[in-house]
Amino acid sequence: MSEMDPQRRRLLKIGGAGIVGTGLAGCMGGGGDDESTTESDETTEESDGGDETTASDDGEETTMSDPLNVGMVYATGGLGDNSFNDMAHQGVQDAESEYGVTFQNSEPTSPSEVESLQRRFAQSGDYDLVCCIGYVQTDALTTNAERYTDQKFMLVDSVVEMDNVSNYKFKEHLGSFQVGHLAGLLTSEDFSAGAGETTDDLVVGFVGGEEVPLIKRFEAGFSAGAKHANSDVEVRSAYAGAYNDPGTGQSIANSMYDDGADVIYHAAGGTGNGVFQAAQEQGRFAIGVDADQSKSLSEYSDVILASMVKRVDEAVYRSIENVVNGEFASGGIQSLGLGEGGVEAVYGQQLGSEIPDEVKSALDTSRESIIAGDIEVPTDPSNA
Amino acid sequence: MSIADSRRGRWIAALLVLLGIVVALELFAGVLGVLVDIVDANYLRAVLRLTVPIAFAALGGIFAEKSGVINIGLEGLLIISAFTSIAVAGLLGGGDATQAELWIGFGSAVLASVLFALLFAVVCIEFKADQIIAGLAVWLIALGLAPFASKVIWGQVNSPPIATLNNWTLRIPTTDVVLFDASPPVFMMLISVPVAWYALNRTAFGRWIEASGENPKALDTVGVDVRKVRYTGVLLSGFFSGLGGAGLALGRVGQFIGGGTTMVNGRGWIGITAYLFGNYNPLGAFGASFLFASLDALQIRLQQLGYNVPSELIGIIPYVTVVVVLAFVGRTRLPSAAGDHYESGEE
Repeated sequence: MSEMDPQRRRLLKIGGAGIVGTGLAGCMGGGGDDESTTESDETTEESDGGDETTASDDGEETTMSDPLNVGMVYATGGLGDNSFNDMAHQGVQDAESEYGVTFQNSEPTSPSEVESLQRRFAQSGDYDLVCCIGYVQTDALTTNAERYTDQKFMLVDSVVEMDNVSNYKFKEHLGSFQVGHLAGLLTSEDFSAGAGETTDDLVVGFVGGEEVPLIKRFEAGFSAGAKHANSDVEVRSAYAGAYNDPGTGQSIANSMYDDGADVIYHAAGGTGNGVFQAAQEQGRFAIGVDADQSKSLSEYSDVILASMVKRVDEAVYRSIENVVNGEFASGGIQSLGLGEGGVEAVYGQQLGSEIPDEVKSALDTSRESIIAGDIEVPTDPSNA
Repeated sequence: MSIADSRRGRWIAALLVLLGIVVALELFAGVLGVLVDIVDANYLRAVLRLTVPIAFAALGGIFAEKSGVINIGLEGLLIISAFTSIAVAGLLGGGDATQAELWIGFGSAVLASVLFALLFAVVCIEFKADQIIAGLAVWLIALGLAPFASKVIWGQVNSPPIATLNNWTLRIPTTDVVLFDASPPVFMMLISVPVAWYALNRTAFGRWIEASGENPKALDTVGVDVRKVRYTGVLLSGFFSGLGGAGLALGRVGQFIGGGTTMVNGRGWIGITAYLFGNYNPLGAFGASFLFASLDALQIRLQQLGYNVPSELIGIIPYVTVVVVLAFVGRTRLPSAAGDHYESGEE
């Protein structure tokens, strides 16, 4: 390992330098010559003695120090979840196009891998910022932030109180209240759009991934919102116990729809795709989470009323921006709510236009009241 | 006499275990009335759908293990077939694949699973690898290979959603009365279980499988090639697992999720516990699969009614059951030669 790492790092550097070189060359127009010179230079240096190679390495390090280098450790759902992780990925890509930062992705397949992935980034010392996405990373980061005090970290969805960690939390319960309000209003009336329609029953549902405080906040907000719309609405909720099991998600959703649920809101990552599948089969509605899922999962846009968008991209982007500007918020906790644009209810691409105007204006009103503090939104379902 | 006794003892113990589970649930649920409310046609439909991958894995495991090759790679075979079915159907037809394209995906998935099982069989039978280690390897390879291939194809570990197989409807001929309406894998399962039982208990092939696992020397003596029988057993486990994995992916979800333990999420392991619980009898294995699936569905329903049964606790029931069954329900009927290599004595 110890022999492998420097080697790989050098490869990365050369690759990175190549990319920077190509980019510059592209800007300057007639860059063909430049590029070939660089390449031939490198070959000669490589073929020369070992000392020479080290020298060239040092030279490259200086060119590399200009753009920021970001290490991304995603949550266990993996990229392609069409929500949480993909949003984070979007954020770093935005930073890439805006500030030309370079980044390296890593996707843990289980919570136990998180610690070593963080450590690998921190150990190499090549990364100006390591973004840790998801609450799974909390324990591992507590260890690593202590061990690598010079490494800047950012953490989404949780808090580690260390000077080298900048924390970003979202007030998911507020956004969930909004979509709960929407679900409660729509189940109370006869509404049909796209592939779904409501029944006479006043039932809405919530499907969670794992039963942890974070996901319970979604449930609490949703449930309070639905009851705010109509106190007769019954809210059913169940947890699948996993974020990667659409089969179970589908079973849960099916049983809720069978019991007359009109709208189901999920906060369950890939498990939630089973909810959309069930909604289509049964001709009812669903509400997406984290990203605008009517866009990212356009196959289901005919049943997705809205999505509770959590601007993870914004958090990742902002944290990188702060480091670029030298304003790294050390040890700070950024809490992003409705007013700060951290969470919001985004209407579905296809169904959004069919949602009645009075429903939309009711949602706007409750949004204002929440921001003004007139509506208290619970964070624990037992108080909802 | 003693065999009959031990068998009766086993059944009584099995019943006690069942009773224990029910009582445990009762403690959570509080009232029997709740159960009566829950069990209806929709519940049954949900349970049958949940049963599919478990029961197919269990059927496959029975054929392999009875023939003398313990295949604990069933989980891996499910993953491979779930992935292949979505990959092939998706590459052929994209987001809105036609039914024909879905069925091609289904067939390819079964083929992929059989080929993977063949690889396992060659390693175990030709190269005399330890069956448990080779089986673990099958699982671990699948666990890595499927998400990796997903990344190559889709650039991410999860596939985009595609269509699912249309339901098959069974009508009373010449009338409109619907007897049964379910997704094709459910029908396949309901057909496969009795067929597998018949094949194992009433045909010469079934006796060869049995002998190959119990006393391969005897089988060899009467002139049947033990290797061939074992290959067949393992390939059948690939075939059934293929049906299970593709059934899960194309019959229900219409997507491959490769994060974590993948969308299969331990169903192959539960399949193993199901056939052990069912004592290598396809009917028993199906019953056990159905029981585990119905506990899962019950847990889902109870949660919604406000009884907070931890899903993790329900999740371990199959494993607890199998430990109880293996430890207390008398001598386990593991085929005597299971796990051993057999070398024909002629050479």
